[in-house]
Amino acid sequence: MPAPALQITDLVKRYPTGTEALKGVSLEIGEGEFFGLLGPNGAGKSTLIHCTTGLAQPTAGAIRVFGHDAIDHYQDARAAVGLAPQELNMDFFLTVAETLDYHGGYFGMPKQERRERAEELLEEFSLTEKRNDRTRTLSGGMKRRLVLARALMHRPRLLILDEPTAGVDVELRLELWHYVQRINAEGTTILLTTHYLEEAEQLCNRIAFINSGEIVATGTSRDLSETYGVTSLEDAYLELVGRKELSRAHAAVDAP
Amino acid sequence: MSAAQIRFLSLLRREINRFLKIKRQTVGAPLLETFLYISVFGAALGSRIHTLHGFRYVVFVVPGLIMMAWAMNAFSNNASSILQQKFQRAIDDQLSSPASPVELLLAFTFGGFLRGMMVATLTFVAADILVGIPVHHPLVLLPGVFLVGFFFAQLGVLVGVRAEQFDDVSFYQTFVLQPLIFLGGVFYSAALLPEPFQTLTHFDPVYYMIGLVRYGFLGYSEASIALSLGFLTVAAGLLFAVNHRLFTRGYRLRA
Repeated sequence: MPAPALQITDLVKRYPTGTEALKGVSLEIGEGEFFGLLGPNGAGKSTLIHCTTGLAQPTAGAIRVFGHDAIDHYQDARAAVGLAPQELNMDFFLTVAETLDYHGGYFGMPKQERRERAEELLEEFSLTEKRNDRTRTLSGGMKRRLVLARALMHRPRLLILDEPTAGVDVELRLELWHYVQRINAEGTTILLTTHYLEEAEQLCNRIAFINSGEIVATGTSRDLSETYGVTSLEDAYLELVGRKELSRAHAAVDAP
Repeated sequence: MSAAQIRFLSLLRREINRFLKIKRQTVGAPLLETFLYISVFGAALGSRIHTLHGFRYVVFVVPGLIMMAWAMNAFSNNASSILQQKFQRAIDDQLSSPASPVELLLAFTFGGFLRGMMVATLTFVAADILVGIPVHHPLVLLPGVFLVGFFFAQLGVLVGVRAEQFDDVSFYQTFVLQPLIFLGGVFYSAALLPEPFQTLTHFDPVYYMIGLVRYGFLGYSEASIALSLGFLTVAAGLLFAVNHRLFTRGYRLRA
């Protein structure tokens, strides 16, 4: 049986301030899955992603990416992961093309391969005309495209999208959806965090709810609705965060 | 080329690319500053102080200026580059790559080291054309300047990693490094100082660095060459060990 794309076991992350952002999280994502991680702000989504990608150091627990240790002997694990972070963390000194080229270099790609892959992604994300522009001159939408292109540069087998469509216009959102659905169909495993429940429902075949540093439920959108005894993912989410009075189902019933 | 070599060279290329893109500030400004020193101390003061330990005053000063150019540029490049990338969180791209702590540390280190080397070399070439600078002991000079450059490059990395705001970097530069360098005897011979200043100068580590570089160029030094080389090697090694530990632990880099 192939190793899971991501296997997290009893992951604890305690910050020096004493805050426990993750309280023994265990999670398994199979190869080829499109997996959604939903939860309110501060639930631990980004911390989980940061621990997986080396941007945060776990206090305890294990993380394996396609069977490779992602904490101590992380080289193979990191090479298999692409991260499109929530923050548009562009290097302002670089141009669009350099951003992709350096990223490929950090992941050990030879020059010729970097050149070909960058051309492909510039074209794919409509960035070819901007290739020689400094990243700081790009619009928000262009930066978002570049963050995603950069994450894909080294052809990761596991793509992590941390709120990829926050603040983007409708066209770009749909464009990104089509693109990630296509690469998922081609075999890339995807872990998505989002606050747009519709996005999670549309894209993900399995979803986990995380709250206060714990995974509280996992399953398909329907499984989660059934777990909470409601009819939609949104209502299940509202149950999770203890705000069921906000349910649109109630609003419809209560309307005069 | 192996994946590790490609990684390291890409990390280093990024650092070189950064300072070359703003070369007016990173190479032009320090060069101008050094020329101003040479003009002021060579033309103005040099006409009053004819020789120092048998050398024309301006020639006596140039080795210290070359050392200072390398040291200050290596330091400020690395401290600023790391802090800027931390601010933008652009550093996450390197930190989430398969690069090891040593690869990251050495790439950041050599970015500033090479910028310092560039400014120092240009200063030397120009000073040699203008006033003629001898090189008496290249076998002391080369390890000497390389160690000084490496030491200050490491110090820049340390301050950049620790810093949380730009004020932290300029604090070290203005209140620590500049006084140590100036008082270490760049512009004068410590032997001319009255007591207790002469003895106090011996507690300034930069005094030994200047001694080493001046000996390499002019064949004159007040400090023991072997002691200076030994001290500098140990200091650079210790700083590297501290930085390596910080990079391995992810101190102020990884949450």
